Amino acid sequence: MRWFETPNFNFTGSHKIAYVISAVLFLASVTAILTQGLQYGIDFKGGKEFVLDFQDAVNVVEMRSSLSEPLGAAPEIKLYGSDSEVLIRTDNEGEISEVQRIITSNVAELYPDNPANVIKTDVVGPRFAEDLKWGALQAVIYAIVIIFIYILIRFRNWTFSAGAVAALVHDVVIVLGVFTILADLVPFSLQIDQALIAAFLTIVGYSLNDTVVVFDRIRENSNVHKGMDFTPMVNKSLNDTLSRTVITSITTLFVVLVLFIFGGEVLKGFSFALLIGIVLGTYSSLFVASALVVELEKRTKKS
Amino acid sequence: MQGNGFKIGCIVAFLALTIYYLYPTLQWNLEQNYIEQLSPSEAAQYEEENQEKLESLRENILSLGLDLQGGMHVTLEVGVPQLVLELAGDNADELLSDVISTASERSIENNSDFIDEMVAEFESRDPDARLSRYYRNDAMDITRRSTNEEIATFLKTQRTSALDRAIEIIRTRVDRYGVTEPSILKQGNNRIVVELPGVEDKERVRSLLKGTARLEFRLAADAEEFRSFVNQLYEYYETYQETDSDTLDNQFSPLEEVLVPAQSPYLVGYATPEDTARVMDLLKTEDIQRMMPRNTTVMWSANPLPGQDGSDLYQLIGVRTQIELTGDVIEAASVQFDPATNVPEVSMSMNSDGARKWGRITGANIGKPVAIVLDGFVFSYPNVQTKISNGRSSITGLDGIEEAEDLVNILLSGALPAPLEILEERTVGATLGAESISAGLNSILVGLGIVAIFMIVYYRTGGGIADLALLLNIIFILGILAAFKATLTLPGIAGIVLTIGMAVDANVLIFDRIREEQRTGKTLKASIEAGYANAMSAIVDANVTTFFVAIILFSFGVGPIKGFAVTLMAGIVASLFSAIVITRVVVDYLTQAKKNVVSFG
Repeated sequence: MRWFETPNFNFTGSHKIAYVISAVLFLASVTAILTQGLQYGIDFKGGKEFVLDFQDAVNVVEMRSSLSEPLGAAPEIKLYGSDSEVLIRTDNEGEISEVQRIITSNVAELYPDNPANVIKTDVVGPRFAEDLKWGALQAVIYAIVIIFIYILIRFRNWTFSAGAVAALVHDVVIVLGVFTILADLVPFSLQIDQALIAAFLTIVGYSLNDTVVVFDRIRENSNVHKGMDFTPMVNKSLNDTLSRTVITSITTLFVVLVLFIFGGEVLKGFSFALLIGIVLGTYSSLFVASALVVELEKRTKKS
Repeated sequence: MQGNGFKIGCIVAFLALTIYYLYPTLQWNLEQNYIEQLSPSEAAQYEEENQEKLESLRENILSLGLDLQGGMHVTLEVGVPQLVLELAGDNADELLSDVISTASERSIENNSDFIDEMVAEFESRDPDARLSRYYRNDAMDITRRSTNEEIATFLKTQRTSALDRAIEIIRTRVDRYGVTEPSILKQGNNRIVVELPGVEDKERVRSLLKGTARLEFRLAADAEEFRSFVNQLYEYYETYQETDSDTLDNQFSPLEEVLVPAQSPYLVGYATPEDTARVMDLLKTEDIQRMMPRNTTVMWSANPLPGQDGSDLYQLIGVRTQIELTGDVIEAASVQFDPATNVPEVSMSMNSDGARKWGRITGANIGKPVAIVLDGFVFSYPNVQTKISNGRSSITGLDGIEEAEDLVNILLSGALPAPLEILEERTVGATLGAESISAGLNSILVGLGIVAIFMIVYYRTGGGIADLALLLNIIFILGILAAFKATLTLPGIAGIVLTIGMAVDANVLIFDRIREEQRTGKTLKASIEAGYANAMSAIVDANVTTFFVAIILFSFGVGPIKGFAVTLMAGIVASLFSAIVITRVVVDYLTQAKKNVVSFG
C-alpha cells in the first residue's frame, strides 16, 4: 500500500489560509484563556479531592445540594468513569479526616442503602500548589529554550529555531484554549494538573519531532538542489516527507485514541490533550513552522 | 554482511541483560501466584522458609507506583522558621520573631530561600546589626564576631541536619508501624516525601508523621498566684466592654461565653473543641498578658473530659514556662495497664542523669502537680506523692490502646527537631489501583495490536520486521526500567503506550526513504543501504529533541511526571536501538539469504 507516493501539494502556497486558520484558533484560545481563566485542577490550585465508589448509581445534582451546606460551599461533584463513582472536590479548609468524615456521613444519610467506599483522596496545600505551578512553568520554558538552542546548533539557522518554537507555542496555546473552552462541555475532567503538563511537553516533543524531520529534509535538499529557490525547496521537502508525516501521525493517533478510550478515568484528560496535540502538531509542522521559516528567510534576505 | 556480527552481538547482549533484569520480576510473580494457591497457614510457612529468597527477589523487581498498587503518599515540610527561632533559644526577642515571620511570608511569596530572606530582612532593618547576638554558640564556632554570612551558613547546616534527623525519625516510626517497602526521600532543602504502599488507616499515619514528640516535664503554676490571676481574668472580662461599641449589648462576659470556670487552682476553665481558638484569642491581649504571673503560661489538655451534656471539654491548665526535663532522658517506654482500671498508659524509664534530676524535681515538689507535656499539650498532671528516684514516670489519660502504642513508637524514635507540616497527601485505594493496571495493560495490548496490523498492511515484510522490533522494544523498556529500579506508575504506562506509537516513527522514516530510493531506480539492496543512511540524521535529530524534553520533565517534574519522563527516556533509547540496529540486521539477513523476499509495500 502506498499513500502520497509522489505528492505535489502546494503547501507554501496555502500559507495565507493557514495563517488565517492559525490566527483565528490562536486568538480564540487566548481570548478564552483570558476571559474564563485556566481551569486549574487541585495540583495547581490546592484543595481536597475525594473519589467515592458507590454500590449503585448515584445522582450528582442531589449529592451536590446535600453536601453544599455541611461543607460550607458548593463542592464540585462529577461522575468519575462510571455512574457509581463520584469525584468530590472541595475548598473546605478543615482537617482532611474531618472533611472526609463530613462527606461520608452525609452521603450515608442521603443514600442509606447504597454504601460508598472512599477509593482515592488527594489533598494539596495552597503553598505546595504554588510550587507545582512554578515548577511546571519552568519546565515548559526550559523545554522551549533548550529546543531553540538545539535546533540552532544542528541547523545553524536561527529562522529554523524561531519557526519550530513558534509552532510549539502555537500548539500548546491552542490545546490550552480547547481545554478552557471545552472544560464544562465534556463529561470528563479537563482540568490542568501535573499529568497535563507532561502531556504538553509530550506534545512539544511530538510537534518538534515532525518539524525537525521536515527541516532535516530542507537541509538535505538545499545541499542537493543548490540552484533551487528557497520557497519551492521548502515545498518539495514538505511533499517528500509527507508520507512519513501522515503515517507516523496515524500510528500515534491509533495508540492515543486507544489510551483515551480504554486508559481509565485518570488518563482521560491526559490522552485527550495528546489527541488534539498530535493533530495540531502535524498541522503546525506542515503549515506553520515551515511557513514561518520561509517568511523569516524572505525578510532577512531583503534587509 | 560485514559489521553485522557486532550488531548481532549487541542485540544478544542487550536481550540477555534485559532478561537478567526482568527475571526477578517474573520469578516474583510466579512465587506470588504459587503462594496465593496455598492455604493461609501453608502460605505463612512457605513464606517463612523462603524468606531470604523472596526478599532478595522483591528488592529487584520492577515495582509498581502507589497509583497502581494503592497506598499513601505524603509530602511533609520541616518548619524551618520555627527551627530558626528555637535555635536562638533564650536570646530570641520580638525583633527576631518579627523578622522571621516577615521572611517566612516573603520566602513563600517569592519562592526563595527562607534563610536568605531572613538575613536580608534583618539587615534591611539595621544594616549594622549582627545576627550573631542570637546564635552565639561556642561549640559551633559562632562568636559575637561572626558575620551574618557565617550565621546564614550555620543556619543552613542546622536546617540540613534537622531535615536528615527528621527523615531518620520518620523512618524509625514508619518501620515500627510495619509498612512493607516504605520509601522516604528528601526533596529540596526542607521537604520529605513519604510513600507507604498498602496503608489503609490514614488518620494514624498522619499523627505518626506529624507528631514532633517533644516531651517536656514542667511544674504546675504556683497555686496561689495562678488562682488570683484567674480571678482577675474573669473580673476583667466581667467589666469588659468592646472598645468600639459603647452600647450595653456587652453585659455578659465574652470569656464566660466560651470558657466554663473551674474550681481547681491550676485550671483556668473548660472549653469545647470549637471554642478553644476563641479562648486563646481572648487570653492573648496585652492586658491579660500583663496580669499573667511571671514564668507562667497556659496549655490545653491533650484529651477531653466528658461534659454534662456529653460534649467534649478540654481543660486549660496553668504551667510554668520553664522546662524541667525533656524527652531526651527517656530510655525506654512501653504500654502498661493501670491494674485498678485496666486503662492503658505509657510508662517510661529515664537514664541515670534524667533519673537524678527527676528525683530532685519530685523531691522538691511533693504534693504539687507535675505536668507531662507532649507536643504542646498536657497529657497528665499528677500530684507528686513521694520522691521518685528510679526515673519512672507514666503518661495517663490516653484515648485507648492504639494511641498508647503509637505514643510509645513516637517516644522511642525520638523528638523531631522541628514541627512538620503536611503539604500534600494522596491516597489511592487498592481496588482503584488494580483497575488502573488492567486499563493500562489493555490499552497497551490494543494499541500495539492496531499499530502492528497497520504496519504489516502498509509496509508488508518491512512492517512485519518493524513489529518484531516493536515487541522487543517493549521488553527492552521494561528491562531498562527494572535495571534502573524505576517505579512503574500510571503515567509511566501512558509513556509506554505513547512510545509504541512513536517507536514506529524511526522505521517509518527508514522505510519511506527506502521506497523513495527505489523510485529513483536503485536496486533493492542499494535502496536499503541508502534508505538507512539518509534517514539517520532525521531520526537522530527527532529523537534527541524528544529526549531533551524527557530530561526536562525528569528534572522539574515530581511524582507522576517523573515516572512518565523515565519511561519516555527508556522508550526513546529502546526504540532507537530496535528500529535502527535490530530491523537492519533482519533486513540484511533477508535480502542476503533469499533473494528479494523483502518488500516494503
